[in-house]
This record gives sequence, C-alpha cells and structure tokens, in this order.
Amino acid sequence: MSYGVTQEMIDTFGDIVFKLSLNKQIRRGDPVRNLDFESIAASRSETGLTDEEIAKKIGLLPEQVSVVRVFTERKHHKIDQHRRLYHLGGGKRWRKDNYKNPLERLKFREDAMLLREAIKFKPELVTKYIEKGFWVDETLNSHLKHYAVNSPESLAIIHPDGELTYKELDEQVEQLTNGLLGLGLTKGDVVSVQLPNTIEFILCYFAITAFGGIMQTIHMSYRDTDIEFLLSHSRSRAIICLPKFKDFPTQDVMLRLKNKLNTLEYVISTGTEATDGVLILQNLKFPGTPQIENPPVGSDPFLLLYTSGTTSNPKGVPLTYQNMIGNARLSVPEFNMCSEDRNISAAPFTHLYGLYNFHVALCAGATNILLPVFTPDGLAETIERTKSTTIFLGPPHAASMLDLNLIEKYNFSSIRFSMFSGSACPKHILKTYREKILIQNRNTRIGQLWGMTETAGATFCRDSGPIDLPLTSAGPAAPGNEVRVVSRDDGTVLSSNIEGELQVRGSSVFPGYFDNPEANKASFTKDGWFKTGDLAMLDQDKNLTLTGRIKDIISRGGVKFNPADIEELIMSHPSINQAAIVPMPDKVLGERACCFVTVTQSQNITLKEICVFLDSKRISKNKWPERLKIIKEMPLTPTKKIIKNKLLEKL
Amino acid sequence: MRREKFDPHFVKEECEKYVKKKGGLAFGIANLESLEQIAPQGHNPTAMLPKVKTVISIGVGGGTQGSWSADAKTLAYIGDTETMAYRIAYGLAFFIESRFGYRAIFVPPDMDPEKGARVPMQSLKLHAEVAGIGARSMAGDILLHPEFGMMYYASVFTELEMPPDQPMAENPCPHPSCVTLYKRTGQTPCQKFCPVECLSGSIDENDQIEEMKYDSHACAEMSQQYEAIPSVLLDTLDAKNPIERGMALHGPENQVLWYKLSIGAGELLSLCYECMRVCPITQTALMANPVARGAGMRQKIVEAEAAARTEHNIEQESDKIK
Repeated sequence: MSYGVTQEMIDTFGDIVFKLSLNKQIRRGDPVRNLDFESIAASRSETGLTDEEIAKKIGLLPEQVSVVRVFTERKHHKIDQHRRLYHLGGGKRWRKDNYKNPLERLKFREDAMLLREAIKFKPELVTKYIEKGFWVDETLNSHLKHYAVNSPESLAIIHPDGELTYKELDEQVEQLTNGLLGLGLTKGDVVSVQLPNTIEFILCYFAITAFGGIMQTIHMSYRDTDIEFLLSHSRSRAIICLPKFKDFPTQDVMLRLKNKLNTLEYVISTGTEATDGVLILQNLKFPGTPQIENPPVGSDPFLLLYTSGTTSNPKGVPLTYQNMIGNARLSVPEFNMCSEDRNISAAPFTHLYGLYNFHVALCAGATNILLPVFTPDGLAETIERTKSTTIFLGPPHAASMLDLNLIEKYNFSSIRFSMFSGSACPKHILKTYREKILIQNRNTRIGQLWGMTETAGATFCRDSGPIDLPLTSAGPAAPGNEVRVVSRDDGTVLSSNIEGELQVRGSSVFPGYFDNPEANKASFTKDGWFKTGDLAMLDQDKNLTLTGRIKDIISRGGVKFNPADIEELIMSHPSINQAAIVPMPDKVLGERACCFVTVTQSQNITLKEICVFLDSKRISKNKWPERLKIIKEMPLTPTKKIIKNKLLEKL
Repeated sequence: MRREKFDPHFVKEECEKYVKKKGGLAFGIANLESLEQIAPQGHNPTAMLPKVKTVISIGVGGGTQGSWSADAKTLAYIGDTETMAYRIAYGLAFFIESRFGYRAIFVPPDMDPEKGARVPMQSLKLHAEVAGIGARSMAGDILLHPEFGMMYYASVFTELEMPPDQPMAENPCPHPSCVTLYKRTGQTPCQKFCPVECLSGSIDENDQIEEMKYDSHACAEMSQQYEAIPSVLLDTLDAKNPIERGMALHGPENQVLWYKLSIGAGELLSLCYECMRVCPITQTALMANPVARGAGMRQKIVEAEAAARTEHNIEQESDKIK
C-alpha cells in the first residue's frame, strides 16, 4: 500500500519534507533549561517537525509524508558512513583527510573487472596449490622489495649502459610508479609495452605492476594491424614504446591508434623529444614513496600475454602472480640458482620464456643481464664481459653462435647452466653446444624446458638430473604441475612412450583466455587439464618429449603465428585463387612459412610480389612466407577445406 | 480504591534512595506544567498517562573509564548503558505502585512509529533537562551533567505527587577548554572530531552556546542501527549483482548491525561515541569516572571508619575518666 504516493509526489515534495523533518536541528541559546517558552515555540520548526506536523504544513496526508520522507532521505543516504566506524578510536582521532571510503579506495574500473572475470580456477585445485605452498601471497614487487631491503647493494641488473643494485632499481621503480599513478592509472588497468630487453622495459614492468597494473607485451616485430588488435582487445589504457624501431614509426602509429581507440589514453615514449600527444617516459619519474591505495596481492593478474592461437586472432592469456611468480620461485632450487648467479636471456621479454627466466633470477636474488637485441656476437660478447653463469636461450640462438664459431672465440667458462626452450630442440645443436662449452668449463650443464604462454614453465630438466636427458627431453613436470598424454581419439590416458596429445594441469597453468569463451571451452577438460594441442610422449620417469603439433600454427624461431589471416589476405591478391601456408622445417628457426597458391590468370606471381603485397597491408615481416609453391590444384576435403597434410607431403 | 496520602518530600526521598541503591547516579523531578508546554502535542506526559502528577527522571553513568580508551569497534559494543537505566526505571515504577499504591509507568524509550523519523514517544532528554539532571550540549543536544558527564536517562510517570526540581542553573557546556579551542580554530572538539561532520554551531561572547546545529540524519546513518538497517536492506535490493547484494548484507561494516540485532535487547542504542570521547566534561567530570566514584565511596568509608574509631576512642577515654 502506497497511500496514493507517486514518484511524481516524491519528486515534488521530497525536498521540503526533508528540510522540515527532524534531519537538521538548530537551537539558539539554551531555551529549555531557561524555560523560555516563547523562544521554544518560535524555534519549533527549526528543531524539526513530525510527519503529522509536516503534513498539516504542506497539505499531504501524514502517511504520504512518511513515504515521501523515507524515499527522500534515502536519496541523501550515504552508505559508507557506518564504514567509518572501523577507522575510529583507540587513540586515533577522526581525520577527514585520512579517510577514504573503501568502496572508492578499492574501486576497479569496468574494464579491469572484465579481465578479473577471466581469473577462474578449479576450487579443488586451488585448495591443493595453497595447502602445498605452490601458491603464496607474493608479487613481482614483493621480491624486489625483499632484496632491496635485505641485500640492497647486490647487483640486480647489468645493462649495456651500466648497472643497478636492488636498492637503486627499487628507487627508480618508485619514481616511475609515482609518474604512472599521476596519470590516474589504477589497479587492474592494462598498460602495454613494446620495448626490447632494455632497462626501460624492466623499470616499466616493475612500475606498472607496483600499483596493481597489468602489463601487456607486444612483440617488437608487430606492426599496425597486429598492434591495433592487441591494444583494442586488451582495452589497454597506455602504451609505452620506442620513438621508432628500425623503419617502423612506432610513436606515430601509436598516436594514430590512440585517436582511433577509445580505451587508449596515453602514448609514452622512451625518446627524449616531446611531441604533441606523446609523454616522455623520463619525465614521468618523481621522487618519493608511491601512495598505493590498493596494492596488488598474489591472486591478482599482472600479465596479459597474447598467443598466436589457432583462431584468426591472437588469444589473451592473463597470468596471476601465483601462476607465474610461483612457477619461477619453485624453479629456483631446481636450477640451483642463487644470488651469486648472473643470468642472461637471449629471448625477448615480450615472450613468456624471457619473462620466466627473468623471474627465476629475481626470485633467487641473482643479477639479470640485459641483452637489448639478439645478435650472435652480441650475446657471446656479453657473456664474456659480464661473466654470465646461467643462460636461457633457444636452439636458433645456439645454432647461430655455433655457425660463427663464437663459443671458441669468446670466454664461456663462467657458464654453468644453459637452458633451452622456445622451439623444437634438435639434439645435434644441444650436443654440439654443450661439447664446446665443456672445453672451457667441465662442470657446465644444459637443460631443456617446455612451456607455453598458457602454462609458463610446465616441464624442465633439473640441474641435478641425468646429464644427457636434456638432449632428447624437456624433463619432468615443474613443481606444482602434472602432465599426461592422452589418445586423440577417445581421450584415454596413454601409457609411457606412446604418442598422443599433451595435456597439462597445475599451479602455473593460466586460468583461461581473456574474453574468449569458445577458446576456453575447447581448451580445457572438465577436470581442469589444459589441452596443449601438441603431440608428445612421456617415458617411464614421466620425462616429456615433444613429437609434433596438432595445430596448424607456424612456429618461426619460437614465434608462433596463425597463418589463417595471412592466407586470407594473400587470397585477396588479384592473381591468386587459393592460398595455404604450411610450416616448412628449418634447421635454424625450426620452421618457416611456405605458401602454396593456385593462380587465376597470371602465372608470374613471385614470392617477392606477395611480400610487397603483405607489406602494403602492414603485416609483420615474421609472418611473410619465405617460400612459394605454385600448384595447379589444391587438395580439398569434400567440404572444400584444404588438406594441409597433403601439402606438407609435397615439401 | 482510596489511596493513602503521603508526604511528597518523603516519597521523593524514598524514590531517590531506591534509584541510588539500584545504581542510578542522578534523580530529579521535572515540572509537569513546563513539560506540558514544551512537548509537542501527543508527546506530552498527559498524552501517555492522563492523570500523571509527577515525571521522574533518572540517570545512570556512561561507559567505564576503560571503555573510552578502547577502539571504536569495541566502544560500539560497550559504550551504551541505557538498559541499566531502563531496568532501574522499570523497577521504580513497580516500587511506587507496591510501596505507595499509586499508578506508575516506565516511559517507553522508543520511537513513535507513526510520527516519522527520530520522533520519540516521549523525550527523555526533555524530562531530564527540566528535572535538572542534564543540560543540552553542543554535541547534538546530548545532555551533560557537571558531575556525572554523559549519562543515559530513563523516565517514570506516576500519579503520586512529588515536589519538582528546577533545571540546572548553569550549563556545563561549553567547557572552558572547548571555548579556548573554539576561539582558536572555530570548532569545538566534538565538532572537529565528528566522523560525519554532523555538528556545527557557535559560542557567544559570554562563552555560552549561541547556536547549535545538528545534522541528525547524517549522525543517525552512522550511529543508529534502526536507521542503518532498513537502508542496508534497501541497498541489498538495489544491488546490481549477486556480489554487491551479498556485500550489502555481509560486508564487514554491517556485521555489527546484525550482531546487535541478533542479541536482541542488549545495549542497542548507539555505535559512535567520538563526540563524547573528546568531550572534556564527559571525560573529566569527577563523578563520571567510576574509578573516581569508587574512590569517593572508599574515602567515605575511610572517613566513617575514622569517625567510628574517634567515637570509640572518646568512649574509651570517657570510661577511663570515669
């Protein structure tokens, strides 16, 4: 029963009812104690009226006044007020300036909440991870702070232009954090970074994550089309980049994208020349301890990496601290890594592998050596100069050094442990590499690691494991992880040494793709195993050997990409009828793209013409085919799908 | 039934003895005629008990001295002692009827559900003020007593006649130290430290209250469960999703409400005491402090014992002389 009250009545009389009721009381002097009846009577309306009195005054029923009052008071109601209780007392006095409503303080933007919705794990697995200590409350910056306090003078970073102790690194990170906070960036915001392995990358990484931001990496080879998709899909609020990279006008392209994308607000350049609309990273450093109101915790996502995936667009992989830093922390004893180690990564930090080994060294309190751009000479020279003890590289890196006889030429005697990953690991490369270093250091060892963006370091050979195992195997599951091989036909678990689909489950495995329910449905079993899409075998000791891939993606030097969109573009060329790209085995890069085409009129299409065409479409160079085969007819299924396996047979 | 006549002064003394024996600190009789003039129609004593002759107001002390040192969360649970006052007043009503044979009622300390927000059935504060056991302060009209500081009050109406008291000659508020602070900063301590900034006002050139402004709605949202609980429920209904809905009900800031609600008629009146925590009268009034009160009583015992000893000695001396 609403006593005939309408919303219109509430809107009309609400203000006057609120004003007249006992909401705000005013008393002049002390009339009651002085029994000053006249004054009391005169000030009756100022001390507030009952609903009955208000009703008489404004011409409503008392019951109507009651309803109007309740709804109007509610409009004025501030729900946070009783929260203040917990900020009072115990010697503390109420200070307005010291109080911020927790709903405001711990607020997440809508886009940030979208990403957090992707963080969903199986509860029974999470219970196990926490009980067994695989997951703890740790963050990237908690490890930095730990060493900045406990071993402030230890070297954290060696880079081409100098060195930084943990204390110095922490101070520089704090300065940049202040700058990023000053832009209004908050916890859960995605900040993209397209930088090589420089000190700026490291500072940005720590500063973004210090306030709870999420770093999205963009590979250096990516160009307009790829970058636009990544920035748009991640809802990134800021991009930090070089002013230009080789012939790519990075800063200009980012500015154009900023104007195009609603979500991108800041373009931050590592350059020195200020341009309209571009912020200079160096100018975003401010001294002082950052005031972080909503600091990150172990379960927060902090990385958003993109895989090539099997669909036409890359897939976003959010990773939490517990996934990834936990994976690194648990790896430290397996590699016997310690604070005396000097670790170098040949892999870029925009890849999971590069970040993984950076994390391992950080968790050990070791020194990370930065190699901004890989060249065989540059890597060998840096190892000699910095006396690196551990190196994380891919077979192509090793192969290129072997081709140039660089291990003989430079001093590699400090290298005690070399970890291989990133692409297929040909035995002869690993064996030759090890033999060459053994001449300089008879105790040196190698390892092999297998992982994906989705799984982090899923399996790896231990520093103390069988010496020759890494030549043929990526070792057993990492602490906290499980691996199994299942039949591709019926999903049953296969016994040892039988090839099947590799599945992984464990504390380092990602929660699910961001904003991609179809991919999530296809990628996980009901009991939480991630279907890797790779073919593999496990030996009796559960050591993993990769044997191939189910998916059609091309893995060029470890950089995977789906050729579907490239094929589509090539088919848009007027001379081409059909196109299919397949992986062509390669000694150095593992795979290169080979393009099979059927032509329409002209028989003269060349590889160069296709590459020029793709360049005009702003496609990254690493996705261009490196071999062209013109065929008369494509092998097709009854439903007119190209049978790629038959093309592979032609290679 | 014919009722026995009693000397009003004797009756008043007996009732005061009863109240003090049960733990009351202050006892006063409000002038009925004054109340009838001041109280709004329907909220005057005769509206509740038509043949009322006497309005008795009693006051009990606020929290213990220790409670003022506790944090706000603790104080929210132990800061109010009003049920102690209610128990005494209820007992007094029975005492009057059984001892003297006149009708009496314990005045309900509750809101009038028909009259709107924050409208009491009877104003216990008004009774106490007119009875001279409290005066309105700058802290949202909370009554203060120069000796007992902040008290909780309860009232009894009776048809038994007793001589009325006068309101206090002096208002202890503002305290001289508050006047000093006001002159320096423009705010008294209670105004400065109110968490919801619901207090404002001014002090005149004679160091008396010139104006007191009190945003009772803001105060009630913070400190009165009966205001906050319906709001919490409405917020729950308005919540956009299950998480917000759950938090509206189970959020840490609301737990204390449900807890107090579930324990029923405990000390339910208030959650926030910051204005009284910083009130010099509440904190320093000699008899507001149970420790000091106890010390006073112990001193009286010591004095009585000393007097007894002296008397005994005199008797002994007299015996010797004899």
